[in-house]
Amino acid sequence: MVFARGLQLLVLASLTSVVVRCGAHSHLVIAPQSPVLEIGTNFTATCMIINRDEVTADDCYWNLSKTTVPKDQYTRVNRSALNVTIPITSETSEWLFCLCKDVSHYVALNKGKFIHGIWLEKGYRPTKPVNLSCEAVQEEKSIFKTITCEWDSSGSQSESVPTTYTLIVKKTSTDEIYNISTQLKRAELDLDTYPNHMNLDVWVTARNKLGTVESDHLIHDANYFVKPNPPSDVQILSENGFSTSLLINWIHPINKVYVELKYQIRFAPRGSHQWTYVPLMDTAKYIQSFRLQNLQPDTKYVIQVRCKNSVYDYGYWSDWSTNATNRTPEDRPTSKPDLWRIDEDNQQWQIISKDPVFSNGKIKSFEIRIESHRSKEWGSIPVNRSDADSSTGNREITFLKKMQIADDRSVKVYVNATNSVGKSPEGLLFIPAKAQVLAPVEDLKVWPEGGQLWVEWNAPKPMSVQEYVVEWVSGGWLDWQRENKSTRRTAIKGILEKFVCYNVSVYPIYSGWLGKPARTEAYLEQQAPLRGPNVKLKGDPGRNEAELVWEEIPLHSRGGFITNYTIHYSSGAETHNRKVPANITSYRLTGLSGGTKYDTWIEASTIRGSTNGSNHSFTTLKYAPGEIEGIVVGVSLGCLFVIVTIMLFCLYKKDVLKENFWPQIPNPGESTIGNWSPDYPLRAEPPKENCLSGISVLDVHMCDAKCVFEEDKTSLSLKKDKYLSEEHSSGIGGSSCMSSPRQSVSDSDEGGDMADTTSSTVQYSSVVASSGYKGQTPSSQPQQSIFSRSESTQPLLDSEENPDMMVQEGSRQFQHFARQPRFAECAGNEDTADFDRLRMEPQEANESLDFCPLEEDNEQIAPPDRLSAEWLPVKPASSYMPQLGGYRPQ
Amino acid sequence: MNGHVKNMYFHQFMTPTTLLSLLLLMAVDSTRTVAASRHQQCAIALQQTLKLTKLVQTESVNLIKTYKSSQGEMSELFCKVSVNDIPDPNISGLEPSERIVSVYTHLQAFNSHVKRVYEQQTDLQLPTSPLLMELSTVSVRSRDLAVLINSFYQSLFPNLPIPEPAGGPTTLPPPQNVFQQKVYGCVVLKTYKGFLSNVAKELRTLKTKVCRRGTQTNML
Repeated sequence: MVFARGLQLLVLASLTSVVVRCGAHSHLVIAPQSPVLEIGTNFTATCMIINRDEVTADDCYWNLSKTTVPKDQYTRVNRSALNVTIPITSETSEWLFCLCKDVSHYVALNKGKFIHGIWLEKGYRPTKPVNLSCEAVQEEKSIFKTITCEWDSSGSQSESVPTTYTLIVKKTSTDEIYNISTQLKRAELDLDTYPNHMNLDVWVTARNKLGTVESDHLIHDANYFVKPNPPSDVQILSENGFSTSLLINWIHPINKVYVELKYQIRFAPRGSHQWTYVPLMDTAKYIQSFRLQNLQPDTKYVIQVRCKNSVYDYGYWSDWSTNATNRTPEDRPTSKPDLWRIDEDNQQWQIISKDPVFSNGKIKSFEIRIESHRSKEWGSIPVNRSDADSSTGNREITFLKKMQIADDRSVKVYVNATNSVGKSPEGLLFIPAKAQVLAPVEDLKVWPEGGQLWVEWNAPKPMSVQEYVVEWVSGGWLDWQRENKSTRRTAIKGILEKFVCYNVSVYPIYSGWLGKPARTEAYLEQQAPLRGPNVKLKGDPGRNEAELVWEEIPLHSRGGFITNYTIHYSSGAETHNRKVPANITSYRLTGLSGGTKYDTWIEASTIRGSTNGSNHSFTTLKYAPGEIEGIVVGVSLGCLFVIVTIMLFCLYKKDVLKENFWPQIPNPGESTIGNWSPDYPLRAEPPKENCLSGISVLDVHMCDAKCVFEEDKTSLSLKKDKYLSEEHSSGIGGSSCMSSPRQSVSDSDEGGDMADTTSSTVQYSSVVASSGYKGQTPSSQPQQSIFSRSESTQPLLDSEENPDMMVQEGSRQFQHFARQPRFAECAGNEDTADFDRLRMEPQEANESLDFCPLEEDNEQIAPPDRLSAEWLPVKPASSYMPQLGGYRPQ
Repeated sequence: MNGHVKNMYFHQFMTPTTLLSLLLLMAVDSTRTVAASRHQQCAIALQQTLKLTKLVQTESVNLIKTYKSSQGEMSELFCKVSVNDIPDPNISGLEPSERIVSVYTHLQAFNSHVKRVYEQQTDLQLPTSPLLMELSTVSVRSRDLAVLINSFYQSLFPNLPIPEPAGGPTTLPPPQNVFQQKVYGCVVLKTYKGFLSNVAKELRTLKTKVCRRGTQTNML
């Protein structure tokens, strides 16, 4: 403490002297000047007041940049000196000012003399460089003169206090020193001549304004740092007769006088990615050749060599030399050909074989021998295999023979493979008769794992198995592998494709006899189906249902096991779906709306995803099949029922109908009018036989053209008999009586005649006053005048007397009545037979009355006035009035 | 109880004579260990020196080829001319120490001559000439070799300082013309190569003599 205080005072004293020497421009001085501060420490500065008594330490304060330092960080040293202690935390360099308050006019006027600042540089102490390593590489035939070193340093640096590294290499024997400085953590140092066989001391110093620190020293022979070039001109010699060895030669990359090297060799069959390393103890010598042994015959090998300083743990391994390749000489096949079969349809078998695993050369031919029942066959199948085939590493499959094997026959097949050197051991395959099925393996499982398909099974219990054959088939491609009898689990070694379904079978082999296979399907990896199923309708859609049918997705497009199908159907606003199992390929949709268009599609799913199939649209029926027919039949039956009912009603109630529609008309013959004798001479009575007594059935064919024709004829007869005027009347009653020779004339002026004419018959007639009678076309004269006169002895009905009343009564009666004039026009020309027919068919007559109702209606709705008006030209009144007068006496 | 008996037995067995014998045995064993260590260091130092000698020798062979190829026509003739004041390539002395000193002093002398050749060839060759680079390399390695020989000598004979050369400082030739320079350079290099060959042989001999003898000497 005393020492520190003394040191502080010493600093102050020296500073004071400096300030005084400099002319005392400022009355404040800070010590120390321009310090470099370590981050994380506390820094203490002292501000001294020079040559001013009115200012004391109590009047001073500190600013760090623009911030005033709190008073509690101040320490008053004496009246003219003030300390401040500040923690150094940030890396940013900044100013520290000492200032004074305006305690006097002098201070206020000379502010520039009462301020002093120092620039604080902040940083970290350098940290020790670690992991120093150096490397000297070969250049041409010697070691390059430059040594390259790298090191690590975990410490931080600030911008204001950077760290500089110096790499130093010293020849320990001569004390020559080489060095280079850098701010990186890597440096290359030129040694003029690389000092082989000289001891070097290598180290790195890290230096900045806060200090220096040195790395550990590497003191080694200079060759410790050498990395030579890889061996050059590596050659491989293949010697006939030595099918399992190759001789490797190379050239030392550098003269032994510089660095004595040791070597390492590695090799691999071509196409393999697994290097085999020759044990280092065999090659860690200064050698230029090495013989590889125990290689496979007729195999192309790739070989590499590298080297390093032979002294243990000295130097660096060179890079590996470039690939040197050569093939070992051929040898005779030393393993059996891998014999197998393809079971085709119709008892056809295809015998196939892979080359022996150790074919030791290019297979030239297969020799096959087949023993079946009592026959034996021999044959040689030549093989023409290119170098490319054998270089792929895949064992070629050769189709040896196609043969027909009856179900009840067993066959033994023996095959040898031959190359240019010799013949392989014999491979055999015994195919048993179908009746002698040998037990299959049990509990076969196949699953993907780690990019491979794994197969697991249990041995068949009763028999001992010689070996197993695992076969996998996909899309016509077949491959197999053999496993020994103790194997229960294996991975398929062939190249399998993802998203392809493989049919995996395991065959037990019993002393060469082929057992029954166990089989299952598997995928190496599954994905969503490549496409969805195409859906279509089965038949026509119904009103509320439709049956969908789709085909299974082709195997190559499934991408995995189909877990289920989802049927989507949409009527536009809403989409429904139905999930169905994967084994279903048709489905009946129910609950559909009639007459609605539906879009439907099938979504096929695997464990990896789903894919929609194509869209299919259909429209449901508006009516269900048979619904229309049912309605029609129902309506028809209903109509029929009504008609029959009406007919029955008519039959059973014909009397009532008759009374209603054909009321009993009083017999005119019994009328008192029969005794009526006009002045007119009595005419002969018309024959009565053709007249129905009491009833006149009127038939009206209003629109019949014949009427007009007949009317003309009638008019002609009228002309003949009584051609005259408009006031002529047709025959009374309009019945067939009119066709009698008896002239029936109604004339207003000849009322007596009328009475006479009708003295023996009932006169009930209408008198038509129509211009038609004048030869005009009746149709052009719609106006018709109706006159009625009854020949009945009874008084005329009111209706007959007053047609106006008829209009006011029920239309039915009116119609009936209104037709009578027409009847009168036509009836005169009707023969009696017709009349009888009409009479016997009242119904028809009745129907004919309904004919042309529109005209009738027109007539009906015609007001009486109008009718009267129409009648005016005819002057019915004048012709009728006398008749009325004639009735009155009755 | 058993331990007590054992202690009693130990005290009875450890007589002063036995203790002295044991100490002597340990001293001898320790001496042997130190001797083996020194022998190993001697061998390592000698091996390192021998390696460097072989390297300089090999480089000197290449240097002569380069020198001849860089001197233009008649280069073979230059090397057949005799020159005075070139150090003797033979190693003198009877004792290993004398022979090592001879090697060292010869090396010093040859270094001076090689340095002179370098200086002369600097005037005769382009700065990028491989001859200059090789001359420089051989010169550096020769200097290193001299240091190693010195160290080896001092490690073998720490109490025998290397005496100064008998004839004083190495005598270099006076200024020469170009022909003389070329002849001089070739002769120096050729002689130096021979000398290095002799040094290599000498070191091989020393390997079996000095390091083993040194151990024996120390043993005695």
